[in-house]
Amino acid sequence: MTCLLCQTVLSSELTLPKIFSFQRLNNSKVCRKCFNRFVKLSDMKTCRYCGRRIFGNLNDPCQDCIKWQHYFKKPFANRALFEYNDAMRAYMKQYKFLGDYRLRNVFNRLIVSELKAMRCPVVVIPVNESTLQERGFNQVLGLCEGIQPVNCLRTRQGKKESRQSEKNRLQRLNVNQPFELIDHESELIREKTIVVVDDVYTTGTTIRHAAGLLYRAGARCVKGFTLAR
Amino acid sequence: MINHISELFGRQINSLELSPTIKQNAMVTFRPAIIITKGKIRCARCHAKLKPVEARLPYHHYYCYVCIQMGRMDTRHSLATFPEPNKFPVIESPMSWRGQLTDLQQQCANQIVKIFEKRQRHLLWAVTGAGKTEMLFPAISWAVSQGLRIGIASPRVDVCIELFPRIQSAFKKVSSILLHGKTKQHYQYSQITICTTHQLLRFYHAFDVMVIDEVDVFPFSGNDMLHYAVQNAIKPGGGILYLTATPDDVLMHKIKRKEISVSYLPIRYHGHLLPTVKIVKNQHLKRLVDQGRLPKSILQMINRLVKQKQRFLLFVPRIRDLTLVSSALEKANINCTYLTVYSADPQRLEKVTAMRSQAVDFLITTTILERGVTFPGIDVMVLKADDEVFSASALVQIAGRVGRNSARPTGQVILYCETKSKTIKSCDRQIKEMNRRAREIK
Repeated sequence: MTCLLCQTVLSSELTLPKIFSFQRLNNSKVCRKCFNRFVKLSDMKTCRYCGRRIFGNLNDPCQDCIKWQHYFKKPFANRALFEYNDAMRAYMKQYKFLGDYRLRNVFNRLIVSELKAMRCPVVVIPVNESTLQERGFNQVLGLCEGIQPVNCLRTRQGKKESRQSEKNRLQRLNVNQPFELIDHESELIREKTIVVVDDVYTTGTTIRHAAGLLYRAGARCVKGFTLAR
Repeated sequence: MINHISELFGRQINSLELSPTIKQNAMVTFRPAIIITKGKIRCARCHAKLKPVEARLPYHHYYCYVCIQMGRMDTRHSLATFPEPNKFPVIESPMSWRGQLTDLQQQCANQIVKIFEKRQRHLLWAVTGAGKTEMLFPAISWAVSQGLRIGIASPRVDVCIELFPRIQSAFKKVSSILLHGKTKQHYQYSQITICTTHQLLRFYHAFDVMVIDEVDVFPFSGNDMLHYAVQNAIKPGGGILYLTATPDDVLMHKIKRKEISVSYLPIRYHGHLLPTVKIVKNQHLKRLVDQGRLPKSILQMINRLVKQKQRFLLFVPRIRDLTLVSSALEKANINCTYLTVYSADPQRLEKVTAMRSQAVDFLITTTILERGVTFPGIDVMVLKADDEVFSASALVQIAGRVGRNSARPTGQVILYCETKSKTIKSCDRQIKEMNRRAREIK
């Protein structure tokens, strides 16, 4: 087995001390060196609404989220697992844009166990039809493989003019609602606490568009969960 | 996006990249990018056998994870090709190079022309500093005049980048192009293609003759994908010339089984023998280095060389040895200037330039400087030469940095080790064998 990110050989030798350590066998898909380049946000001080890392004595909630409170009146808080740093950027490039679907396994187990622990219906941000055609997979569904999400959202227009990552912040905030509800499925979320999952929280627009729709469909509370922030 | 049909001559490109008019061209053929037979999955571009679990995409599709860096191929794609038409202008005397080859070089060059004529598969085993590139010129010139398409590939991008301007200026009238992963240059159909071996994955039965430089080197050596890429890029029955100073086991095996012919050029262009290695054993070498110390003999040697203003390279096996050796030199209080170099060093090129401009006395380096670099008149030392990082061919290449210049055709190569390992013995043997052959023809 080789590391999915740097291709160095992972040692999977089963030695006696390893057996008697009674620890879980390390069958991870990436080497320690690569994995350590991702910064876990769980043991850091983060913004209570978007989950970003807060440095020093900056405010919680962050400036961004204070602004959001004017535009988005429903309760919404996002939790992110990792910081969106260079390592994560490189990961996303290889996974999403190059289309290396195996890379879902770098975070899959972690994400699935976190989502299961939340014990509520999962809604995955959909990918528009042309991107799905080109890429061949929905990157968020790949990351949550093993969870049965509620399939109640779909993208509205057939084709987006440009990818989210190619737009600047202001343009993104001005994008109109990209999603719509699939009516017969929305029964499943009425009066429930729902978690919306996306790969990266950048400005928070996309995930709030989705959350807004879920509230309209009768959800009691919507939380956000992203791999990176 | 492929807009002109000539960009498809002898290539294999994902059909998604073709413009609509080209897609409708009757001469363009398509074949599936991923082949599934009896549950076995293979990539048509790189020939890798794929594990279904790893190659799986949703909706029962599969993709190739082996050659994905060249753009993903999956079961929904096909590879488009236009059969190579050799559509080149006739050039009477294509060579603009007016240099002179030595008699031995000329003999070799004539032989290469013959190999190209007969489309053979041949290995030219030429010592480091033999002047391999110039010996190719007559054969390339012949091939161009015959209207053949020529490919020159190397596993190392540095080698390609260095080679391109030399070929270009030797064949000013001939169209040529340099391709590697870092260029933004748009592809153009050219008679001479110089590229990394990875780029060959985009070619299909294109070249009449090919040259593969530095065959024994990572990532080419032992890489099935790249070997397949070469066979696929060449026309069936085309000729291949492999070039190296240090053939690996695979090549040696092929020579023994007479799958390829071989010729030797055991003498350097200036006619002097290769410097032989001096092996110095020290029982506690590894422990001392790990403690950030060096044996007295090595420190004395460094001191002497610095005082004599004899410049040198000090090779170490691993990146962490760089700091250990630096601290050892600091403790020993040797008055000298040096820099440390490793492959991912962002200032690598600047540091090499500093050595070249004599701004520093010496460089401490990992194997990254083992080949492709020339510092005139240097000596070389290798620390922990018995470390597994140094293969026999790496040691031969390192020794080959010495005496390349006709002004100082000799020099010292010292290998410091705890035990005389198999690789050290093999290196010593290879150099002596080449010198024996050199004496025979002298």
